[in-house]
Amino acid sequence: MDDTASTTRKTSTISSPNYSAASPSFYEGSTTPPPLTGHPPGLNRMATVGNVPQSGAGGKSEAFDIVKTYHRLLAEDPELTMPVAAIEALIELLVQSRAVTVFETLDLVKTQSDYLKSRIPNSISLSAGTDLFQRYMISSLNPRSTGNFDAVRQHLLSNGRLFVSRAKAGRERIANYGRHFVRDGSVVLTHGGSRVVGALLSKAADASASGGNVRFNVIYVMNDARNSESKAVVSALRAKGVPVATIPEGAVGYAMGKVDLVMVGAEGVVENGGIISRLGTYQIGLLAKAADKPFYVAAESHKFVRLYPLDQFDLGFDQEVIKFTTEDEGEADEYGVKTPRVVERPEYFGAPDVPETPIEAVDYTPPGLVTALITEGGVLTPSAVSEELINVWW
Amino acid sequence: MPSLSTGYAPNLGVFLKSLKSQQLEASIENLISLLKRRQIKNSRPCAIATAHLLLRVVARFKWTDVGKLLERIQEVGQRLIQAQPREMVVGNIVRRVLGMIRDEAKEDRNEDASDSASNSQLSSPKRQSSDLGHLRNAGGPPTAFSPLRFDSKDVVQAMDSNSDDSFGSKSSANHRPPLITSHTSYAVTNNVPVQHSMFNLLSAMPSPLATPPGVSSPQGRSSVNMSSVAHRAAASSNDLKAEVISGIEEIIDELDQVDEQIASYAQEHIHSNETILTHSSSRSVQKFLLKAAEKRKFTVIVAESYPNDHEATHAAVAGKSKSSLDDSDDMDSDTFLKPLPKAGITVIQVTDAAIFAVMSRVNKVVLATHAVIANGGLIAAAGARGIAKAASFHKTPVIVVSGVYKLSPEYPFEFESLIEYGDPGSIISYHDGPLVDSVEVDNPVYDYVPPHLVDLYITNLGAHAPSYLYRIVEDHYKAEDTNFHNPEFQY
Repeated sequence: MDDTASTTRKTSTISSPNYSAASPSFYEGSTTPPPLTGHPPGLNRMATVGNVPQSGAGGKSEAFDIVKTYHRLLAEDPELTMPVAAIEALIELLVQSRAVTVFETLDLVKTQSDYLKSRIPNSISLSAGTDLFQRYMISSLNPRSTGNFDAVRQHLLSNGRLFVSRAKAGRERIANYGRHFVRDGSVVLTHGGSRVVGALLSKAADASASGGNVRFNVIYVMNDARNSESKAVVSALRAKGVPVATIPEGAVGYAMGKVDLVMVGAEGVVENGGIISRLGTYQIGLLAKAADKPFYVAAESHKFVRLYPLDQFDLGFDQEVIKFTTEDEGEADEYGVKTPRVVERPEYFGAPDVPETPIEAVDYTPPGLVTALITEGGVLTPSAVSEELINVWW
Repeated sequence: MPSLSTGYAPNLGVFLKSLKSQQLEASIENLISLLKRRQIKNSRPCAIATAHLLLRVVARFKWTDVGKLLERIQEVGQRLIQAQPREMVVGNIVRRVLGMIRDEAKEDRNEDASDSASNSQLSSPKRQSSDLGHLRNAGGPPTAFSPLRFDSKDVVQAMDSNSDDSFGSKSSANHRPPLITSHTSYAVTNNVPVQHSMFNLLSAMPSPLATPPGVSSPQGRSSVNMSSVAHRAAASSNDLKAEVISGIEEIIDELDQVDEQIASYAQEHIHSNETILTHSSSRSVQKFLLKAAEKRKFTVIVAESYPNDHEATHAAVAGKSKSSLDDSDDMDSDTFLKPLPKAGITVIQVTDAAIFAVMSRVNKVVLATHAVIANGGLIAAAGARGIAKAASFHKTPVIVVSGVYKLSPEYPFEFESLIEYGDPGSIISYHDGPLVDSVEVDNPVYDYVPPHLVDLYITNLGAHAPSYLYRIVEDHYKAEDTNFHNPEFQY
């Protein structure tokens, strides 16, 4: 995608972006990144105004591709979450850019964010990062505030690693606080490979190992499509001395009677306090609600994203989870079931989300099913999420 | 054991009188033992006693600096909470006072803007200014902290509205400047200028990688304080002390008036010819109903809440003086409350067993509380959950009447731990030897009612949905005070 970086000024050629056409292939030859589907339309207006002002920079800037950078960052550090990787990628973009005015910089960040989002099939989580970055820049470059452009830019450029370490420290804090939810004798049901939940449970296990009186069991819901990840989580917990039972996804309802609390991670936390998380979270939430068990979500607040899904099919991208076929089309596999298009990758746990990943199927768990969100800022009710977002956006 | 040298029959009124004559330390010990023996019990008396005691603590405090005062209050608060952890209002009042002192101190500091460098250090534990400061000051020179002054106005305003008696919901809405990223947590740690906002990930901190030692602990804070405060301590400490004292007095006033303020919303919620179900005896609920009865005719069904509170409930219905039953309450105006039937209300007294049977005829349930938790749930007299459940079965709205002072910022990890078990002798008399021998008798004093069973909270600030309570928590308590008594829950 060299052409993206070496583009010339192109002000209003794509004045009315067509959402449905925002597939990557459509924009293959275009120089302007397409708008993100499902993104707040207010931003699209701005997106058409300017373009990547890197042409003058020459040489170095041509090599920069935000999508590649994003994937590289994720691959380099398995502990990195998608929003933070997006922020890091944008910081690298700023390093490369020669933008000298506030508007230029904001516009560059904006167009590149939109471009990045358009190239990642499920961009919900990373858009939390790009949005946060943009809002931070906008509010700190606000003429009414005292932040001056050079200082803000310098701060962002020089503190890239700091943001990563803060994000990781946030996870530690969630783990430290959230472990108190795991009481002695309790049975925790979890699934997926959330790093926050993993950290939380291992903290709780540490507490029991170090003489604290917390002996708990974990029921882990195995995911066939992600067998290696599931096994890694389970063995990590067992290594800590936590008794783990593994159950298939079909046995969640059966097991719920033995469960004291459900603890899951999230890819994104949406405006109403619901969560976007690994496929299967929604049904676990429903079953927990039916059994009147607390359903806790451990997620960092940089995963809060300004999105308001109305239902499962309103996430802004097509997951192809439900695909109707007949024999003639030859699409159905031998059981006639089209499983979610998730390719088992043994290396996943070491390096999540490398470019070739097909969509990791996710679902939307509405806020009514969430008992509380454990964030690094404390335990929030789902309704508190919107206020955090409002504080950032207005 | 601590001294009860006054020799009165110990209760709230006696305790308050003894405050004037006793040594401070003796008063603290006195209150601790009163709390331990439950000679002062229930939310309101505990809150009043705590507030008065803290007033004395501040008044007697040999002023050095604000950090020391905060430490002193924390220390006293810790002891009181340990004495009776289930009276959550004690902790609430201590947190209110701590937050108020922090606000006053900051206001004081901002007025004295001469040493802005140390200001910037000092003010960072204050969530509002720190966020704004960081935002505006991203990487900028320290002089850019002038926006703090702008910010301080908001904080002052916030403080005013917090301690204002009338507590108009308007003012609480006012004092939120748009970009201030407030802390929407209700289970946060103390002392740490926590990540209050999503922006904190990116914000510029005075020193990167970690919170500067000067702001991360009260000790550290006070040492920083020393430098800036000392040179003008003589000038400003008296003012500050007076302000803190008047702040505590305002909290005490609020405690006095809270029931009247809640009652003023009664006529919006109780309509003519409705049937209201209530439970146990509560001054707040009684005043609420009496206020509504000034204009409306309606029916109240009172469940007697046997065995812990039935005598008081009967008294509230029949108009017997309550003071003989609950002597810790006798200093307030309970005795002047009109019994419900005298106010023109049709009162039906039922046993607790009849609640479900009558629920189909009830238009509204009005519950009193012992404590409200920040997730929107509440702790109330035993039986409340059954009532709330029955109400939800019949789709009957449940209104909870509670002063804001009962709202606790703590997030309990297991709700069972909040429930207290009382004297089983009030269920089965110990005279009944064979029965006492052969059965186990449980007498839970409280119930936990989860938030989804409550439709509306009516506080002295107005009516709120349970999901809004986190907001009120945030307006009233500082995040760094939430777990001041329990450093284990610190991040």
